[in-house]
Amino acid sequence: MAGINPKFGEALKEYGGINFNACYNCGNCTAVCSLSTPEDSFPREMVRLSVLGLEDDLKSSLKPWLCYYCGECTTHCPQTANPGELMMSLRRWLTSQYDWTGLSGLLYKSLTLSIIAFVLTAIGVIVFAAYESFNLETIIHFGHYFEMIAIGAVFTFILLPNILRMWWFVILKPKIQVSFSTYVKSIGELIVHMFTQKRSLGCDDNQVRWFEHLILVFGYLALLFTTVFLDWFSSQNLFIIILGYVESVVVFVVTFDFMSSRIKKKKAINKFSQPSDWFFVIWLFLMGLTAFIVRAFIDLNILETNLWMYLVHLIVLVQWAVIIVPFGKWTHFLYRSFAMYFDKLQKIGA
Amino acid sequence: MEKKKIGVYVCHCGGNISDYVDVEKVRQAIEDEGGVMLAKTTMFACSDSNQKEMVDDIKNNDLNGVVVASCSPKLHLTTFGNVSERAGLNKYNYVHANIREQDSWAHSDDKPGATEKAILLVRAAIAKARLTESLEPNKIVAQKAVAIIGGGVAGMKAAIELSNMDCPVYIIEKEFFIGGRVSQWGAMFTTNETGKEVVTRLYNDMIKRANVTVFTGAEVVTNVGSIGDFKLKVKITPRYVKEKCDRGKLQQAIDACPVEVPDEFNFKITNRKAIYHNFPSEYPQAAVIDMNNCTRCGKCEPICDNIDFSQKEEILDIHVGSVLMATGFDPYTPHDGEFGYNEIGNVVTLPQFKRMIELSGKKLRYKGKNVKNIAYIYCVGSRQEEGGNTYCSRYCCTSAIHASLLVKKKFPDVYNYHFNRGIRTYGKQESLYYDSSAQGDIYLQAYEDALPVVSWNGSKTIVKINDILTGGREMEVEADLVVLVTGMVPRADNSVGTLFKLPKGRDKFFNEIHMKLRPVETFIDGVTISGACQGPKNIMESVNSALSAATKSYSYVSKGELETEPIVAVVNPDSCAWCNACSEACPFDAISMTKDGTKSIAMINNSVCKGCGMCLPVCPTDALELIAYSNNEIESMIDALAHD
Repeated sequence: MAGINPKFGEALKEYGGINFNACYNCGNCTAVCSLSTPEDSFPREMVRLSVLGLEDDLKSSLKPWLCYYCGECTTHCPQTANPGELMMSLRRWLTSQYDWTGLSGLLYKSLTLSIIAFVLTAIGVIVFAAYESFNLETIIHFGHYFEMIAIGAVFTFILLPNILRMWWFVILKPKIQVSFSTYVKSIGELIVHMFTQKRSLGCDDNQVRWFEHLILVFGYLALLFTTVFLDWFSSQNLFIIILGYVESVVVFVVTFDFMSSRIKKKKAINKFSQPSDWFFVIWLFLMGLTAFIVRAFIDLNILETNLWMYLVHLIVLVQWAVIIVPFGKWTHFLYRSFAMYFDKLQKIGA
Repeated sequence: MEKKKIGVYVCHCGGNISDYVDVEKVRQAIEDEGGVMLAKTTMFACSDSNQKEMVDDIKNNDLNGVVVASCSPKLHLTTFGNVSERAGLNKYNYVHANIREQDSWAHSDDKPGATEKAILLVRAAIAKARLTESLEPNKIVAQKAVAIIGGGVAGMKAAIELSNMDCPVYIIEKEFFIGGRVSQWGAMFTTNETGKEVVTRLYNDMIKRANVTVFTGAEVVTNVGSIGDFKLKVKITPRYVKEKCDRGKLQQAIDACPVEVPDEFNFKITNRKAIYHNFPSEYPQAAVIDMNNCTRCGKCEPICDNIDFSQKEEILDIHVGSVLMATGFDPYTPHDGEFGYNEIGNVVTLPQFKRMIELSGKKLRYKGKNVKNIAYIYCVGSRQEEGGNTYCSRYCCTSAIHASLLVKKKFPDVYNYHFNRGIRTYGKQESLYYDSSAQGDIYLQAYEDALPVVSWNGSKTIVKINDILTGGREMEVEADLVVLVTGMVPRADNSVGTLFKLPKGRDKFFNEIHMKLRPVETFIDGVTISGACQGPKNIMESVNSALSAATKSYSYVSKGELETEPIVAVVNPDSCAWCNACSEACPFDAISMTKDGTKSIAMINNSVCKGCGMCLPVCPTDALELIAYSNNEIESMIDALAHD
């Protein structure tokens, strides 16, 4: 017996759902979706559950993560009910449900709050720099430490508990029996999907986007590794220096392309952008770009006289690490791959 | 009788006939039959070139009988009748032989047999052609005036149209006010005009016309006559209130009336007094005392001078050439317990709900409680497997959805739940379905074998459904108001239909002759039907049918004279002994008794007789014959068929 909650539909609109109520259940979206299968049939089912507001069913479902948003469903929808964007908004909503702090939800729903968070972080960095009397060496030193601490803290206190909550919603609460050996045997699924997003190759004509995304992921992760563990900004090793340049170029060039697609709005997937989508691509772009310029200033020996450049980079970095990674779109990197892992567990368990 | 000169044409019909029937053999077999002057085969008898050839043959050879052996007479009897007329030969001298449907197609497995049969069929046709006579249509006088029964939108629109064609019109409305059902609606799909606005516009246009006479409180009580010549007696019930009346004093009189009865105008969700009017712009603008409920207490009389209990019932005679029915429909009334109706307190019908929206103020309340969740249950009284109303009522999906849009607009905090069996907002109305979905209305669907269930759990009304759009899962809604989306049924009071002997379909609505090709004519000549008395229709469809019925009715009376088919029954007064058997067998009431000197005999009303022949076999003295199908003609055909 399920009670209907029409208010959920109204709430979902704050996460970017557009006109999905107009759905008349023809199922064209599911028919054209190249990832939908008889066992994992979507997006119509997700649209229906959203219209009816059956939150528990949605929370235990992994289907929003099984969609890689090619936009064919939206193109073919006779009611302009935007199933593709509905799936996107469900991913945002699920992210906010997994997040124990509740901050994800607040930031997704309120642009004002997001801007306040960004401004406060920027002020914090500047105050810290002032406290350190704008001494470049100490600031770079602390910046480097901050990166390492932030990675550890965000993972331990935010991301890990959230993944556990996701596990609770999709495996434990629905009482799906999964043996320990299954957990171990299926771990390969997690790794493969985390680093390759190979499922998105199932979308029609998606090879270019998949490739762009792949090199962005590797570029980003490598840049993170190069700056944090190889200490790019202080390194004298020519190989490391060049490696860092290449990685930062990859990050800002690919994200520049992503941004321009969102501005041109040629494909269904790029037509609708929520603030969280913009924050994600813009900050990733700024991360790559500012890192590149900072290292260039170091190599040109002008960073001492242009301390502001490093401050800009640090502000972008801190905002990224304390807002976007734990509470923003960055988390899809984890939830998507864990969803593939949990999906495998669900199927074996059932 | 002059010697018959007959032309016979045997058609190949491409290969439809000649693939199985040896048409040349048929031609040879009959060319020497008595009276046959020429016999030809033709590839397509109906082709232009052959029709021209036939005209020339008839003229050049002075033919006075023609036979074409081809397809069914349903297809081409008229075609070849017209060919004869074009050649100057009366069309009743043309005889059709069907050697396709009744021969080549039926006996494709037996070609020699089919050819034999074709020969016999053509011989029979020739036998009849030898005996045919020229006939002229019967002419009857037609009174140039039309009576319209029912003054709703269909009736008023038809009246305006007939008036435009310079035809006098009488509108006979049973209620005391014009406008019918439409006057009861507020804003309507798809124009959002209110019923009042539509009725006002039509009334103002109609009432200024000198050739339109409107009777309210009026009923046809007797009808004598037939097409062209209907003599109606119309009973006028008095209003007991004079038409020119001081509105202020009238209101005081209404306030003084101690009688309260459920108000039919508001589908009984409110009460009215025994002296009442419906709404400020009602037509005619005069109040009424409802004598069925008035207790004659006399309290109103001293307040308002215009109350006049001395008014008397009147009977008027009206003489018209055609009658146009526009009597409308009744909303389906659910039986007690149907989806909780009359058993659970907050279950209403769609018409009641529409009145509620219209009458409610700032809050939507029902029986003192705020209404937030509204459950609409569709197809109540329509599309039933059991219960008799198998038809779809056409207007209800759109009307319910439109009501849900209105209610949400007026009271934004309500939620609409539509428990449907597939939404049928056809044509332009589809955009309303879109708007309703987009505003967040929730649609739940079931099949007829598992309809939604309305129940009362002691504190709340619960509507449950196994929603086929969610894989058959059981869903439930706590409803503050359940709206039964009721369809249309024929008027409960069918006395006027009975009076005119109008045939009804299986759905009990008045029946047309042919759904597609003769949609407003009935088997009662001169009586046309329009609007929802014929079957469920929305306003646009009602007006469409009203305009076409007006045109059809006008075509009966426009010339002042009517032509009817000459093929009718005739009575031989010498052998008739008036046993009444023919009159009982006649489905059209065309036979009555008359006196031939002192002897009682049957008389055929030529304007009503359809030439169906039902009276012939029941006559014990063989006193009836059907023109063009006389015993002589039929016997000669049988002889030809049986002769080998």
